Amino acid sequence: MSNNKLFGLIFCLMFSARSAQADEAQLKRGAHVAVEVCNTCHSLKYLKYSDFLKLGFSKAEVDAMRGTKGMADPLISQMAPADELAMFSTVPPDLSLMAKARDGGANYIYAMITGFYTDAKGQTANHVFPGIKMPDVFMIAQADAAGRQGIEQKARDVSAFLEWASDPQAEERKTLGRYVIGYFVFLTVLLYFLKKKIWKRLD
Amino acid sequence: MNKIIAWVDQRFPLTFFIKHELTDYPTPRNLSYWWGFGFLAGFVLVIQIVTGIFLAMHYKPDSNLAFDSVQHIMREVNYGWLIRYLHSTGASAFFAVIYTHMARTLYYGSYRRPRELLWWTGQGLLLLMMATAFMGYLLPWGQMSYWGATVITNLFKATPVYGDQIVTWLRGGFAVDDPTLTRFFSLHYLFPFLIFAAVAIHLVALHTVRSSNPSGINLADKDNIPFHPYFTIKDLFGLGIFMIVYLLIVFFKPDLFIDAANNIPANPMQTPADIVPEWYFLPFYAILRSVPDLAGGVVAMAISVLIFAAMPYLDRSRVTGGARYRPIYRAMFYIFVIDIFVLGYVGAHPPSLQIRTIGEVSTTIYFLTFLLLPFVSRWEEKFVLARGLPPAVEAMARKEIAEAEGNV
Repeated sequence: MSNNKLFGLIFCLMFSARSAQADEAQLKRGAHVAVEVCNTCHSLKYLKYSDFLKLGFSKAEVDAMRGTKGMADPLISQMAPADELAMFSTVPPDLSLMAKARDGGANYIYAMITGFYTDAKGQTANHVFPGIKMPDVFMIAQADAAGRQGIEQKARDVSAFLEWASDPQAEERKTLGRYVIGYFVFLTVLLYFLKKKIWKRLD
Repeated sequence: MNKIIAWVDQRFPLTFFIKHELTDYPTPRNLSYWWGFGFLAGFVLVIQIVTGIFLAMHYKPDSNLAFDSVQHIMREVNYGWLIRYLHSTGASAFFAVIYTHMARTLYYGSYRRPRELLWWTGQGLLLLMMATAFMGYLLPWGQMSYWGATVITNLFKATPVYGDQIVTWLRGGFAVDDPTLTRFFSLHYLFPFLIFAAVAIHLVALHTVRSSNPSGINLADKDNIPFHPYFTIKDLFGLGIFMIVYLLIVFFKPDLFIDAANNIPANPMQTPADIVPEWYFLPFYAILRSVPDLAGGVVAMAISVLIFAAMPYLDRSRVTGGARYRPIYRAMFYIFVIDIFVLGYVGAHPPSLQIRTIGEVSTTIYFLTFLLLPFVSRWEEKFVLARGLPPAVEAMARKEIAEAEGNV
C-alpha cells in the first residue's frame, strides 16, 4: 500500500469517528428524558449526577435534576426494586451500559422505544422485543403522525444520550487518539527512512 | 562508565552477552517482514503484562464486585479506559500476531530439522497463551465471560471416569462462581510470567539453531548480517506499523472484539441467545461442535491444536524453503488458511443445518491436510526434483535424502 493510501485510510477512520458523535444539545435533551422518564423505573448506576456537568449542564441545572440527591450519588431508579418486581414481574435492567449491551447500540434502543404497536388482539406489543414487559411509556402505539414525530425525536435524543452514558470517555478517547496516531505515523515514517539509510550500508 | 562495565564483565558476561545475542548475532540478510512477528509477539506480551499489572491494582476479583470494578476502571480511574482497552485489544493483537508467526513457520517450513524444539516450545507457548486468554476472559464477569467459562470447563466432563470431579475441581464448586473467579484471577496473573520464562527458552533454542530464512538454504557467512542495527531497525519499523493498526482499534473501535453480551453482568439464571467464544478460539470451537459426540469433539479439538507439533514428522519432503519451491505444499497451505477462516465463520454462527454441514466439511479438510501431508510431501519431493530446482536447494535436498538413506 502506498503511503498516501495508508494516510487516507487512517484519516477516514478518524473523521468517521468524529461525525458519528451526537451534538451537545441533543445529548442534553436526551439527558432530560433519561432522568425524567427512564430513571423512574431504570437505574443508571454507573452515572453520577456530577457527570451531567460534563455534558455542558450548569451546576444549577444539575441541582434541579438531582432534587434531594447528592452530586456524587449514582442515578438509582426512583421505584424500589421490590415494587418493580410486583408491578412488572421483573426488575428493569440498568441502562448505563445498555447502548453497549445490545447489538446495534443506540439504533437498537431507538428501534425498541419506537417499536411499540397495537396487535390484532388490541394489546400493546413490540416489533423489536416480543414479550417485552416495559410499557409503551411514550404511547407511540396510539400516537397520530404528528405525535409520532415528537416521540421519535425523544427516542433519538435518549438513544444518543444512552450511547454517551455507556462510554462517557469517547470524546476524550478520540481526541487523544488523533494525537497518538499522528505521533506514531510520524515516528513510523522516520523509522522507515532510517531503516532505508541503515540498510544502504550493505549495498 | 567503561570501568564499571569492565568491573561487571569480570564477574558477569554482560558485554559478551550483548555482543553474542544482539550486536554481533548473525542473522540472514534476506529475512522478510514475516520474520518480524516473533519480536511483535514479545512486545505485545510486555504490553499485556504492564497493562495487566495496572488493571489488577483497581480490579476486584469478587463475583459481586468484579463487573462494577471494571466500570470503575473505565469511568473513574485516570486513563483506566486506556489501560483496559490496551489490554482487551492486546489479547486479540497477541493472537493475530502469533497466528501470523505460526503461518510464516508453516509456509516456509521453519519447523523442519533442526528447529523441531524451537517449534515445540512455540507450541507450548501457544497453549499457555490460550489458557491465559481463556481465564482472563472470565474476569470482567459479563454474561459471555460466565457462560464461556461454563461451556469450556464443562468440556472436561469428557474425561473418562473422573470427568465430573475434574470439572468441579476446575471450577472450585458445582458451577462457575466466586471460587472460579478468584482462581482464574490468580492463574491469569501467574501464567504471563510462565510465558515470559517460556519465551526465554524459545529464544535460547532460536539462538542455538538460528533463524530460518526464505531461501531455504543455509546461507554462507557473508550472507549473514549482525542483528543490530539491521534487524533492530527493521523490527522497529514493523512495530510502528503494528502500533498504528493496534492503536487505531484501541482509540477508535475499542469494542470491536468485545461481545455486546459481555456488557451485561453475569447471570447464572439466564443463558445468552448464543454463546460465542472470542474470535481466536472460533476455528477450534467449530471443530468441537462439528463432532456430534462430546468426548469425540473434545478430542478432535485438542488434536486440532496439538497436531501442529507433529509437523516436523508429517512433512516428509526433504526440499527446503517450505512452500516456496513446493507447489503442492503451497496449495495445501493456502487451502488450509482459507479453511481456518471458514471454520471461524462456522464457529461464530448458531449451528443451523447449513452451518453444520459447512463445519463438517471444513473440519474434514482441516484434518485431511495433516493426514495427507506425509504421502503428498514424499510424492511432491520426487516431482519437484524431477522438474528441477535452484542448484543450492537441490543440493541440500539430495544431501539430506542421501543421509537418510545411509549412503554418505
